[in-house]
Amino acid sequence: MDTIAQGVTVTKTGETGAFGGELLTINFGPHHPSTHGVLRLIVDLDGEQVRRLKPVIGYLHTGIEKQMEALRWQQGVTVTDRHDYLSPPINNLAYALAVEKLMGVDVPPRANALRVIMSELTRLSSHLVWMGTSGLELGAMSMLMYCFRERDTILDMNEEISGFRMHTSYIRPGGVMADATPRFLEMLDKFCHEMPGHVDEYEALLTNNPIWRSRTIGIGILSPEDAKVLGATGPMLRGSGVAWDLRRSMPYSGYENYDFEIATSDMRDCYGRYLVRIKEMRESVKILRQALDKLPDGPVNVDDRKMLPPPREELETSMEAVIHHFKLFTEGYSVPPGDVYVAVESGRGENGCYIASDGTHKPRRVKFRSASFVNLQVLERMALNHMLADMVAIIGTADTVLGDCDR
Amino acid sequence: MISETLIVEKGVSAGDPWVTVESRNVREALSGLKNDGYTLLVFLTCVDHLVDSSRQWPARYEVLYQLRNLETREQIRLRAFIDGEPPRIESVHDLFGPANWEERETYDMFGIVFNNHPELTRILMPDDWVGYPLRRDYPVGGEPVEFSEEHEMWQTAPEKA
Repeated sequence: MDTIAQGVTVTKTGETGAFGGELLTINFGPHHPSTHGVLRLIVDLDGEQVRRLKPVIGYLHTGIEKQMEALRWQQGVTVTDRHDYLSPPINNLAYALAVEKLMGVDVPPRANALRVIMSELTRLSSHLVWMGTSGLELGAMSMLMYCFRERDTILDMNEEISGFRMHTSYIRPGGVMADATPRFLEMLDKFCHEMPGHVDEYEALLTNNPIWRSRTIGIGILSPEDAKVLGATGPMLRGSGVAWDLRRSMPYSGYENYDFEIATSDMRDCYGRYLVRIKEMRESVKILRQALDKLPDGPVNVDDRKMLPPPREELETSMEAVIHHFKLFTEGYSVPPGDVYVAVESGRGENGCYIASDGTHKPRRVKFRSASFVNLQVLERMALNHMLADMVAIIGTADTVLGDCDR
Repeated sequence: MISETLIVEKGVSAGDPWVTVESRNVREALSGLKNDGYTLLVFLTCVDHLVDSSRQWPARYEVLYQLRNLETREQIRLRAFIDGEPPRIESVHDLFGPANWEERETYDMFGIVFNNHPELTRILMPDDWVGYPLRRDYPVGGEPVEFSEEHEMWQTAPEKA
């Protein structure tokens, strides 16, 4: 045993492995293209087999939780966009639900439906990025083109509804940024119509692709017991056959009103996790279709002038509106003291937000429970005794976003 | 269930039930809850109550454990208050899998020392970092701005080597 970096103890290079050769300690990353950001793994190799693995994280740490403490409640939304940069609206949703729960506010039904629509679009775009890049890493080069084609449609919709393509800040405490435009609803209708066919295309490219199958089947097996004990969530858990999905298990934002199945797979390997994501994409389209068909009318924000600014036209006629506007943008609103934890299901698993308020206009503490951070601890369990080349498949299907992991 | 003797205080905050225990009883309370079905540690973190007038706090640091029962879908939050420099509390990495990294993160950000943790090192910040960034008294702010004399020094051309 030896210490090569402070606190990182690994088997000394030169110890004898099972094949009679020496163990070799290497760095995998942080700038390896298949580490999905900057993940560094210290890997002990016996021949080409992984005998020990140690993730080293923190290269994308941006102090998001510290920044939240310096921002007023309504300003914090923009920062939540940026930790899991593949699913901004879902991060917004966790934060918004937590603030609303502390304040005891319920948003109108149309806002809830729009939140569901944005969450599902985001889940789709996140899975598309995952599938495109994982395909690229495992030799299915054309997947990236197909997946990013549909992702671009989703980004166009983001732009239409919020003005931003990626960091939308669309879901805010008290409702959503703005109502959906008629053009957005048209685009969404067209998208719901076309997307199932596109998922068929992905399946045609991958599901029976012999290279894809041989690189993923039997690789990175995670037993349901291990997954539960180590706290894995999302497709990692469902790919091991555990039907746990927060949208169904602990519903929020009216998910209990939608008819969808929880995607699970008993394969427990990388291929199982791929099947789960494919199924989830189909289910997401189902939810989008239902949300679009029964989109309720009405306001998209709570009618509370102490929390959200008055409409522009009121500012010209009402002194009270001017005062509210001024107070909101200079001091902000305050949230009653207390703490709350709210969890939502993101493309990667349980994305939670813990907020402690001391009754002022800024949070005392905001903690993001990121799925990537917890799921990454499972990596060693999955990768042991696999070939080094299989690590790429295993890291890929774990689908960690390092921005989310390091926050 | 946690025996009533361990509970210092309990209540509900915005719909979330919580209990407070003495920091020395954290392991006992958590293993009791684990046996009771709360098998998932959702997260573990700390709140720094430095200059917090919203209520009387027993100590500066509040360590929180959010637990979930996957069968009944109930959640409970366990709190323990600690003081001291460094603040110390028992590690629970052997009771709950996710606690290992969460405790390292809490150490990294707040300087809470988890006794008997197998590898209590910085996880997000660089190994040679000084200070604990999420403490409320950690200085926030940019780099020192260079004025006048230093500025002139900066403007002079470097001497030829």
